[in-house]
Amino acid sequence: MAPIPQTATVFAYQVGFGDCFLLRFDYSDGSRRHILIDFGTTGMPKDDATITMKRVARDIAERCGGALDIVVATHRHADHISGFETKADKTGSGDIIAGLKPRRVIQPWTEAPDAPEDWTGPEGTDPATAFAARVQSLDGMHAVARAVVERLDREGFDSHWPLAPRLRFIGEDNIKNLSAVKNLKSMAGEEPEDKANYLYVFHGCNLDLSAILPGVKVHVLGPPTLGQTQTIKKQASKSADEFWLRAPAMLALDADAGVASARRSMLFPNLEREDMFRRSKMPAAMRWAAERIDTAEAEQLLGIVTKLDKAMNNTSLILLFEAGSKKLLFPGDAQLENWTYALQSEMADLLDDVDLYKVGHHGSLNATPKSMWDRFSKRGAAGKAGRLTSVMSTMEGKHGGKHGSPTEVPRRPLVEELKANSNLVNTQDLAKGELFHEVIVDLR
Amino acid sequence: MKILPPVRKLTIVAKDPGLRVGMAGAMVFAQIDVPAEILAPGPTGYRIKVVDYNSTERRAYADRQSYQREHELLDPFAPDSGESLDDPSYQARVVGDPNFHAQNCYAIAMRTLGLFERALGRRVSWSSGGHQLHIAPHAFALANAFYSEPDRALMFGYFFDSDGKPIFTALSHDVVAHETTHAVLDGLRSRYTEPSGPDQAAFHEGLADIVAILSIFSLSEVVAAGLGHEPKLPGPGEPMEVIAADKVTAKAIRESILLGIGAEIGLSDGAGRGALRQSVRIEPDPEILNRAHMMEPHNRGEALVAATMHAFVQLWTARIAQLGTFEGGTYNLASVVDEGAKAARQLLQMSIRALDYCPPTDIDFGQYLAAMLTADRELVPDDSRFGYRAAVKASFAAFGIFPPAGQCDAEGCWPPFAEADQLTYSRSNAEVLTRDVDECFRFLWENRKALRISEYGYTEVVSVDPSLRVDPDGIPFRETICQYVQIAHFFGAELQGVLKIDPLPEGLTTQSSADVFGGGVVILDQYGRVKYHIANCLDDAPRQRRRLEYLRDTGQLRGRRDDSRSRFANLHLARMED
Repeated sequence: MAPIPQTATVFAYQVGFGDCFLLRFDYSDGSRRHILIDFGTTGMPKDDATITMKRVARDIAERCGGALDIVVATHRHADHISGFETKADKTGSGDIIAGLKPRRVIQPWTEAPDAPEDWTGPEGTDPATAFAARVQSLDGMHAVARAVVERLDREGFDSHWPLAPRLRFIGEDNIKNLSAVKNLKSMAGEEPEDKANYLYVFHGCNLDLSAILPGVKVHVLGPPTLGQTQTIKKQASKSADEFWLRAPAMLALDADAGVASARRSMLFPNLEREDMFRRSKMPAAMRWAAERIDTAEAEQLLGIVTKLDKAMNNTSLILLFEAGSKKLLFPGDAQLENWTYALQSEMADLLDDVDLYKVGHHGSLNATPKSMWDRFSKRGAAGKAGRLTSVMSTMEGKHGGKHGSPTEVPRRPLVEELKANSNLVNTQDLAKGELFHEVIVDLR
Repeated sequence: MKILPPVRKLTIVAKDPGLRVGMAGAMVFAQIDVPAEILAPGPTGYRIKVVDYNSTERRAYADRQSYQREHELLDPFAPDSGESLDDPSYQARVVGDPNFHAQNCYAIAMRTLGLFERALGRRVSWSSGGHQLHIAPHAFALANAFYSEPDRALMFGYFFDSDGKPIFTALSHDVVAHETTHAVLDGLRSRYTEPSGPDQAAFHEGLADIVAILSIFSLSEVVAAGLGHEPKLPGPGEPMEVIAADKVTAKAIRESILLGIGAEIGLSDGAGRGALRQSVRIEPDPEILNRAHMMEPHNRGEALVAATMHAFVQLWTARIAQLGTFEGGTYNLASVVDEGAKAARQLLQMSIRALDYCPPTDIDFGQYLAAMLTADRELVPDDSRFGYRAAVKASFAAFGIFPPAGQCDAEGCWPPFAEADQLTYSRSNAEVLTRDVDECFRFLWENRKALRISEYGYTEVVSVDPSLRVDPDGIPFRETICQYVQIAHFFGAELQGVLKIDPLPEGLTTQSSADVFGGGVVILDQYGRVKYHIANCLDDAPRQRRRLEYLRDTGQLRGRRDDSRSRFANLHLARMED
């Protein structure tokens, strides 16, 4: 007889602004299974130098007894996968994880080398072509993000630019993390027969993990395929793909570095030095407008990186683990557009009795849509029997603008609601030196 | 004393750098008239100040041109002797000079402003209250161009095509005229940028394209080029040039570059999809405004452009059909171009004059149509000769746009003010009334009952403008346009009690709150008496309910207002999403 899962334990690690959860199932026969869901950061807590990604990786290794069953990378953002980075001398935190030889790696379809089986493109298009276009457009987004960060790094750049910190944060989060991406494509084996260990999933696809996780059903609620998305959107996303594909050239930011500090104008190379004014030596008649133009440019760049950040979040996996009598929801950073498809699908009913909710996108406002939260029947005031547990990994002051603005992360009114109507476990509340919160869910 | 000539000639790229002619694919340049003035470096004149600062390159390009010598006004980028406007070497030289781009923006913006001033018969102010609008021809390396009210500026970006060639939005007449129109319209009707129904944001976009397209038709050489001929029409005594009939069919005109917007940008940013917009290709469909994709402002604005351009094509082709034909059914090219210029001028003037007859808040397309018809009838009571109003009405109807039911007369025009006998003039000074906002407000306030001006909310006379036009008989025709706006921040209970929006729209409670707008234009005739009162009253409950429901459905009810810099910028960037 197959063993029965008895308890689930979630280790919510301190990774500053990022996500890292180790999910453990304890079985009736005394065996255990371990699933690592995301491992990334874009800013460790500043007041505690003892916590590093390597220390977290070593702790994971110890806790899972040297062998991981499954690695889940919900999406490609640095704050979810940076820990998978490897080093040439094999001493990176990602090398430690790779050494745990996961049997399966689960990622969203956007990470697949080719369009997965049963994946659907928009009506009337060839799925392979549609898939390739989307993957290329994601690469375009990385290129834009990298160009923005390079621009910020460039010599001669005015560090007092008011939007620079936010631009840098979002930009860096969206730069393609090559070694981590590669690691996620090789840690479960590189032989031809290992190909089946890499699972690229989408809404409603059949994810059969019974051989590894007996008694646990894993439902994939998101992300939707392009074909699925089309049914809730009025227009196909072709024009958006085209935009991101062409964006790096359009924005001209991938030009050689130093466009601002170079002696010659890139745009008008024939101009002599005396026919140009440096920013710091501008005639009085130009200064008022020049300052405004600088800000206007920064605002637009911020608008662009915010949009690509959101697009990337919406590639996020939404996984629901159903084990025994309990349901555990891990939606990565999925934002409203990703949720919209799941919420109008037949699978939405699965959300009604969720027991543990990993708070989406570090507590940002539109990653916990009201229409989803309202479905959770187990939310309620303290003392409610079988009350919902929510687990949040976040760090204030890092993302999303000023304190109190609608884009702040975590969003205060949401945190208040989570506190009022669930048992909130927040990595921000970890004491100095504490590595994780441990949440035990009885599955019987 | 030397006397300045009345106008100055300046060289521009006509229409768009994407308009090419001849085997060598030369661009089309034109020399246009702009008001005579002694320009400061920039160029900086009495309405425009060009600041050529590039924030991506963190440097500004100095203006090294001489715009005048003694009392002679110069066109610094006119071809040298022995050169012509279509010489490739000349074109390459000027296009490589940032000062030319600066001048191009200055000239097109001044020309666009001039179109409005001529049509309205008065000076038109920028909404900021300042006199000089900034223009940044190379503001940043971004594929975007926009009007920013708080910056008092038009900002034009540039980007690179797949061959690494820079594409300058500042070189496209379409784009410069479009953005200038946003600025002018914002000066004339500053509340059209408030959250309202679906038509209001779309109206800004639509009118900007209409002005950009129609304003090119007065440049005959450009129209000739757009029809596939050399951009030079035969002069007096030169042999006539003919054009084949199949080049001037309605279909051929609809597909020509002349009715598109941003040909070069469209070709380089969208994988060969042609012009950035070619709204006239939208097929008439009386249900079009109810379709889901038409809720996006640019898309919806295109319906207004399409309605106008279908009318234009019909008027132009009807005029062409009346011309005599030559061997092989050909037409005299010069006459074809001339008829296009006349039709475009008339339609453009109607489109602009209509603004004086539009309510100052919550405009919708139907009201704009009524305003267009009214403005034209005031000036040209007899429509029988060319049928402009009939054509416009039919074309708009084909796109589902009708004068507001129950508010217009049989011709679709606003009716004259019906309760003239209820008004009190005795406490107003007629002469002061036509030029002073406080006197005007006193008149409105004392007649608030007859004019249905609510006592709630904040009321302001935004402007009192004289309008002097010349009718077809050559007789001057004077009106005074008084514009007032009402604004109130109401809680749900007040929406119910004061505005009688009862029950409240679903989703609003007595505690929720919303800004509501109202206002009107009072048109005084030459005797200073109220001729028209065209208003969207604050206490118009059905209208306010529709607006609130729309804001609720589009998530604008509780959301904070877009800050005004990004308002137009976001509209343009929005196309990267769908």
